[in-house]
Amino acid sequence: MELALEWARPFLGGALVVLQIFAVALVLTVVIGLLGASAKLSGSRALRWLAHAYTTVFRGTPEVLILLILYFGSAVSLTALVRLFRPEIQFVDIPPFWAGSLALGLIVGAYATETFRGAFQGVPKGQVEAARALGLSGWQVFFYVRLPQMWRLALPTFGNHMLSLMKDTALISIIGLEEIMYTAKIATSVTSKPFTMYAMVGVIYLLFTWLIALLVGRLERGATRHLMESR
Amino acid sequence: MSFDIALILDSVPKLLAGIGLTLQLLLLSGLFGTLLGVLTCAARLSRLPILRWPGWLYITLFRGTPLLVQIFIIYYGLAQFEAIRDSFLWTFLREPYWCAILAFALNTGAYTGEIFRGGVQGVDKGLTEAAWALGLNRWHRLRYIVAPIALRLSLPAYGNDMISLLKGTALASTITLLDITGVARNIVAKTFAPYEIFISAAIVYLCMTWVIQRLVAWAEWRLNRPLRAS
Repeated sequence: MELALEWARPFLGGALVVLQIFAVALVLTVVIGLLGASAKLSGSRALRWLAHAYTTVFRGTPEVLILLILYFGSAVSLTALVRLFRPEIQFVDIPPFWAGSLALGLIVGAYATETFRGAFQGVPKGQVEAARALGLSGWQVFFYVRLPQMWRLALPTFGNHMLSLMKDTALISIIGLEEIMYTAKIATSVTSKPFTMYAMVGVIYLLFTWLIALLVGRLERGATRHLMESR
Repeated sequence: MSFDIALILDSVPKLLAGIGLTLQLLLLSGLFGTLLGVLTCAARLSRLPILRWPGWLYITLFRGTPLLVQIFIIYYGLAQFEAIRDSFLWTFLREPYWCAILAFALNTGAYTGEIFRGGVQGVDKGLTEAAWALGLNRWHRLRYIVAPIALRLSLPAYGNDMISLLKGTALASTITLLDITGVARNIVAKTFAPYEIFISAAIVYLCMTWVIQRLVAWAEWRLNRPLRAS
């Protein structure tokens, strides 16, 4: 126990990195999910096909592989590109933080695409028609009518995606990001107490997932408030 | 930047050699995980708090933490305890292979446990009441009424969980196992050709995902026969 306290500071630092990755990847997830859902529901056959290929590949491939392809792939490409101008340079990469956030955003974004698509389809057609009849522009219909109603339907499933996203942040240690898994590794090599250290990581993640579940519960109550009152 | 076709042709047989291990991990941990899921489901639905409570704790712990952390706790962590190192368990727990299977099975067990519970709770109450009224005993109600319907209800989610498990087995490569991902990482470390190798590996996984999806669709079709007949 006192061992855990001794290492509290490095773990806190690592936990902060996890939260940063989570925040960046969450924004990417929502943006990619909305774009993907729009593509899937669009009139263009090419866009629909592209979105379909995207969700199939990113939901059917192990998360680690996607992470490795993005990180090492971009490093090889970037290095080749930079060496065209500066041949003395050996290695250039996208920092693991950004490569990792992008990979997580793309992975969970594929799931969010499906969720948002279903939720958009769940908004009654009459709502959009009524908004149109009232003279709202395309953007206004999207932001004031379709998006808020879609959100309510998507929230429970999207909450699960947030939990997956949080747990997937642990994978970024594989490409060398210095977060809590890394802290635990260092702490283990110093103290040779691997169970204590990795259990610490587990407890931190448990706390984070619990907070997310709590937050999603709150949001759900907020999003369905108008339904509660009418009962 | 060019795509090295010769390298791909050279590596694909090596990657395919990793399929055996990936399949073993998938099937063994899928089997143990499913059994564990059934037990967990039973515990969670039990009237006894002493069974319900550990079921809840198990599910919360394993669904609330990353799979990678679970693997590391089992593979690296358990060695911290002398009692484990001295026991007969150590013959298994010092092998990355069994540690991976244990971690995957425990992880899947927690998820499938909740899936099965959802299925059982989704069975129309009127049906069990009708079975009760017909004089079916506890075992018969479970065997002929609840289980078939619950299975049908939980199959889609169960199929998704098996796909998650397949993708999860890629993490076995983090504890030195040479599954498809492990082999791919080894080749990349030597050739530094990430696109060619990792994308080839991804295609192998995509094919396996597709096969699982077809199998689940087929099972769903079989189980839904009574519904189609009406």
